[in-house]
Amino acid sequence: MNACLEFNQVAKRYGSVRALAGVELAVAAGSILALLGPNGAGKSTLFGCLLGLIRPSRGEVLWQGQPIRDADRRAVFGYLPERIALYPHRTVRDNGLFFARLKGHPPAELERQLKRVGLYAAQDRPVRQLSKGMLQRLGLALALCGQPQVLVLDEPFNGLDPALLDGLQGILQEEHARGATLLISTHTMSAIEPLATHAAILLEGRLAARGSLGELRAQHGEDSLEAVYHRIARRQRSREREEVIA
Amino acid sequence: MKPLWLIATKEFSDRFRSGWVIACTAVWLGAIALTSLFGLAQIGRIGVQGYERTVVSLLNLVQYLVPLLALLLGHDLMVSEREERTLALIVAGGTSRARVLLGKFLGGVLTLAFPLTLGFAIAGTAIGLAAKDRAVGSFLTLALSGLVLGVVFLAIGLLISTCCRTRVQALVLALLAWCGAVFVFDLVAMGVVLSSNSAQAALEIETATDAMHVNSAADLHKAFAGETEPRPAHAALAQRSQTLASWLLINPVDVFRAVNLPKPAALAVPIPLATASVLLWLGLSLGGGIWKLQRIDL
Repeated sequence: MNACLEFNQVAKRYGSVRALAGVELAVAAGSILALLGPNGAGKSTLFGCLLGLIRPSRGEVLWQGQPIRDADRRAVFGYLPERIALYPHRTVRDNGLFFARLKGHPPAELERQLKRVGLYAAQDRPVRQLSKGMLQRLGLALALCGQPQVLVLDEPFNGLDPALLDGLQGILQEEHARGATLLISTHTMSAIEPLATHAAILLEGRLAARGSLGELRAQHGEDSLEAVYHRIARRQRSREREEVIA
Repeated sequence: MKPLWLIATKEFSDRFRSGWVIACTAVWLGAIALTSLFGLAQIGRIGVQGYERTVVSLLNLVQYLVPLLALLLGHDLMVSEREERTLALIVAGGTSRARVLLGKFLGGVLTLAFPLTLGFAIAGTAIGLAAKDRAVGSFLTLALSGLVLGVVFLAIGLLISTCCRTRVQALVLALLAWCGAVFVFDLVAMGVVLSSNSAQAALEIETATDAMHVNSAADLHKAFAGETEPRPAHAALAQRSQTLASWLLINPVDVFRAVNLPKPAALAVPIPLATASVLLWLGLSLGGGIWKLQRIDL
């Protein structure tokens, strides 16, 4: 596997709370990795470590074999947070231009991405007037600006109606087709299954399973990613119960 | 450099849109006009006087208002971006945290310098025209040192903003810092010096902090007008003007006072040392802010 991203024993503690416990994960270039796990499993923390938002207590993240210490090396990432936060009093265009220019992209690139997500007509509206779905699309447009090599999407399917979900899946497929690597954390298995090439399951900060979708299905004797996930989660829960009893 | 400038200009533009710059300009212009016109009322003079006398009146205004404005501006710069979660999006896009902080600082400097410069320029022009005074040196010193005072407190406000988790926390800390620098420091310094029986240093503190007290300020005006002799303490102090008042250098407000006090009460704070003190405050505040910001999980 030609890994472009590697998480090397990445651990994070918040006081006595363990958020990540030495996650070891390699992401193949050009793949779509679905990062699955319940709330509080450490998915957003793992993304935070990748994007320089969170300092790991231990371990490091490598991009093309080199540790990502310099902020400039993160310019290859496009990021859509779970809750997109922008400047509410500014317009869609103002917000977009600010973030696009910070990454060195021209206004034309922003316009292209706004058209792509269907927000070009709303570019003069203040962000505070946008619906949740529109805000999500604006966040996606910002993440897509400049054709990033890696797209990091944290719960991108939350709160989208079927039409928007379909549109988002189409855009993600286009990104995959141009060669981008996608990391997507989600609870919406039905939305990610048609897209993902690989999956990793995080449970309580530990990597419980990883591999290509075919491998995971075959390994656990299930025919869907959702069934694989529930099987692994059940096994984990029963193991915990046994530990408590013991 | 480009991200830094982008962040700075966005900050200025946001403050302009929100009305902060205009409100600050209005407050500053109003205060400077009233002080210039009525600042000498204590010695029975109303109206615009020459530059040197106006400087004495404006000393109080600048030393109280400029640090307050700077802290009120600075305390909000980083913590608001953290609370709104926009900082995470900026950092995730590949802009280093140090650049974000310096960009915010530069934006704050532009925001603060605009009303202050405008106020000083208008007041300076009005005084020059009304009083037909050409000895503008002391006024320029006041304006420049007032701007520097604002920049130092802006950096302190930015450090507070970086260290706090909420805006309310930052505001409380900023107001405490203002009280500490403007009121408490002098009292504590005086108490420490007096309790250690260092009479000369106590006299220096008293002189440098004279501008805080209305009656003493009136005395300073009188010294200018030649209506009375300068206080003996001031005269004695002037003779010892080469004394290094190192304690003054700890507090930027005292450095500002010492630089601007009129000649009869002048203290010897060498300009290179005053500059070093300012640079040290800037370095500590900005360096501390960057150090802290790089250790925060967003």
